Amino acid sequence: MSLALPLGLVWAGAAVTALLDGRRRCVAWLAVGVLGAGFVALCVLQAHVLVDGPRTIVAGDWPAGVGIALRADALGVVFAVLSMGVLLAGLAYEVVDDLESRHTPALVLFMGAGLTGVFLTADIFNFYVFFELTMVASYAASTYGGERHQIGAGFIFAIVNLLGTFLFLIGLAAIYTVTGTLDMDGVGFALAQSEPTAVALIGVSVLVAFSIKLGLFPFHFWLPPVYVGATPGVAAMLSGAVANVGSYGLLRFGGDLLPDLFAAGAGVLAVLGSASIVYGAIQAISRRSASEVLAYSAIGQVGYVLIALAVGGPVGYAAAILYAIVNALNKALLFLTARVRGWLVGACFAIGALSVAGVPPSAGFFGKVELFRAGIDARSAVLVALIFLGGALSFVYMFQIYQRDFWRDRHDTSGGRALQVPGVLLALVVLGLGLWPEPLLAVSREAAATLTGGQR
Amino acid sequence: MSSVVTRVVARMLLAPILVVAIAILVKGFADVGDGFSAGVVAALGILLQYVTLGREEVERTLPVRLLPHAAFVALLGALAVALVPLSRGDPILTHSPPAGAEVTTVGKLELMTAVAFDAAVFVLVLGAVVGIVHAVARAYEEMEAT
Amino acid sequence: MTLAFALAAGVLAGSGAYLALKRDLLRVVAGIVLIANAANLTLMASGGTRGESPILPVEGEISDPLVQAMTLTALVIGFAVIALLLSLVYRVYTGYDTLDLDELSKEEARHAREIDQQARDDDDVAEAEGR
Repeated sequence: MSLALPLGLVWAGAAVTALLDGRRRCVAWLAVGVLGAGFVALCVLQAHVLVDGPRTIVAGDWPAGVGIALRADALGVVFAVLSMGVLLAGLAYEVVDDLESRHTPALVLFMGAGLTGVFLTADIFNFYVFFELTMVASYAASTYGGERHQIGAGFIFAIVNLLGTFLFLIGLAAIYTVTGTLDMDGVGFALAQSEPTAVALIGVSVLVAFSIKLGLFPFHFWLPPVYVGATPGVAAMLSGAVANVGSYGLLRFGGDLLPDLFAAGAGVLAVLGSASIVYGAIQAISRRSASEVLAYSAIGQVGYVLIALAVGGPVGYAAAILYAIVNALNKALLFLTARVRGWLVGACFAIGALSVAGVPPSAGFFGKVELFRAGIDARSAVLVALIFLGGALSFVYMFQIYQRDFWRDRHDTSGGRALQVPGVLLALVVLGLGLWPEPLLAVSREAAATLTGGQR
Repeated sequence: MSSVVTRVVARMLLAPILVVAIAILVKGFADVGDGFSAGVVAALGILLQYVTLGREEVERTLPVRLLPHAAFVALLGALAVALVPLSRGDPILTHSPPAGAEVTTVGKLELMTAVAFDAAVFVLVLGAVVGIVHAVARAYEEMEAT
Repeated sequence: MTLAFALAAGVLAGSGAYLALKRDLLRVVAGIVLIANAANLTLMASGGTRGESPILPVEGEISDPLVQAMTLTALVIGFAVIALLLSLVYRVYTGYDTLDLDELSKEEARHAREIDQQARDDDDVAEAEGR
């Protein structure tokens, strides 16, 4: 199977659903089906990549180095599978909840095509193009629901993220000036021999650009209104799928293309990450409504990814990848279950909450374990203490929501059985990965090995 | 509303603009030009109609409301050109006939998949721009009405 | 030549940043447009130092065609994004009857307070019932 197939499939599906009225049930389910097919195709691709190693195709049969390449390696493909799965769950939730806008299924499919492209391209300019496809679709999707404050939040979201995008574009121009190539392998090779000052400027613009997408502490201010205003399915997609672009971008550009610079700037990354963790946790504890707590929790949780990146090396990168995966699943699960009621959903929300706090038997436990390993590997007592403190704080705020919203059974507005299904499935995934974490650990180590040149 | 002269001139200019656009599209393989710039030129022609005649008249007399839909069909066409080579085991976007091979020609137009791809890009750009122009024009009318 | 590009891009980005900090939403969008074009200009300039054609060798000095293709793509993306931004501005205008960023943030703060108050009221009700 070719690695262009999932990309083409979802893209073509997006074009077809854009022509049809997405409010009609059959069209909406067609979109869900296309995403499902894309998800299955990506899973098959992942199995191939893990067994046979990375795959590359060069468009138009041009020689490598001239043509534009698509490449599936362990790092890209794991993020692609994750994002497509979250999009699938989020769209299924919205479809069950009755779509109000004819464009939503097409927008989600365009988002899926963009994300697949971002994770499977080997060309930095194509990375930008697919990245913009994803972001434009998500600006539009973030206003789904049409409430007044949502549109205001969506506007700020678009403006701030566009500034980040253009900063990335300037960084990209700088990369091309310095290296004269766009192929990721070639760029990494050429940057290693370039003048450090130029490389430092590139690194800063890339770091700021992806920090804005992730919503890290000093660049976070657009995030809470968007996540609070969005409908549960869209919030799950934004936090669980679109935000992956930020983590992946930092891993790919930081770990793969600028490893020396990120090693030198580890202190900056650690400070930014710690600030995010502390700020997110304190804000989350002081909030009352579930969606606000989750939004601030999202700011805090990405801080761990940055801390693991600061540690670097095989252990640090593996921890960063693992935590990014677990965090995306947690956030999607929590947003999808926070506004539905019933004992089953309550249990699912509890699994998500335990996972955020890092309590076994949830996938989040292994995320935290890997972070501790990274902290010990870096011989930093401060990092270990910070991770512990952050975990304790997240336990407090997660169970504040749980106590308020689920123990007191006052919201008896349970919205149908079917609305629970996406959340329950995600909860099973989180629980399953907590009980049998070996595949996840193996995948994240394999993905980290692509960054460190085969070192485990 | 614009004067009679501008309205007549705008109407008269539409056909030549479209001819120029098609010319840019088809000569793109031997000379300067491609589907993208052809699409922009054609879209400018339609935009001129909107500016001088007003949205309602343009949409009554020309089939412009179909163009945004045509854009998505064109996107499907472009994707088809990109993906069909996969079925033969070639990488995406492999054009046929390959470089150096004999090409069937109709008049001076060479028939190859790259032409189909560019034609799709032409319709895609035209449709997208017209869709945006339509949305802006309608929003403006709504604002005037209130 | 590089200096000219650098100056032009710097002036564009600076004016864009100035406009983006204004309160009027349309000025903010205009600022984003200028910053986008500063990025495009930087992209154009990135090919200026090399004179190599990637495919066909030609006699004499030529400039790198790849950056022009990239800039064209970036311009188109910028165009789409600006259309989207303008439509968002329009929706803001029809929703709020204002194009003032301050009004927008006041509304946002009001909404945040409302959510918080709602949650607190619910808490009070639940506590009263619990007793």
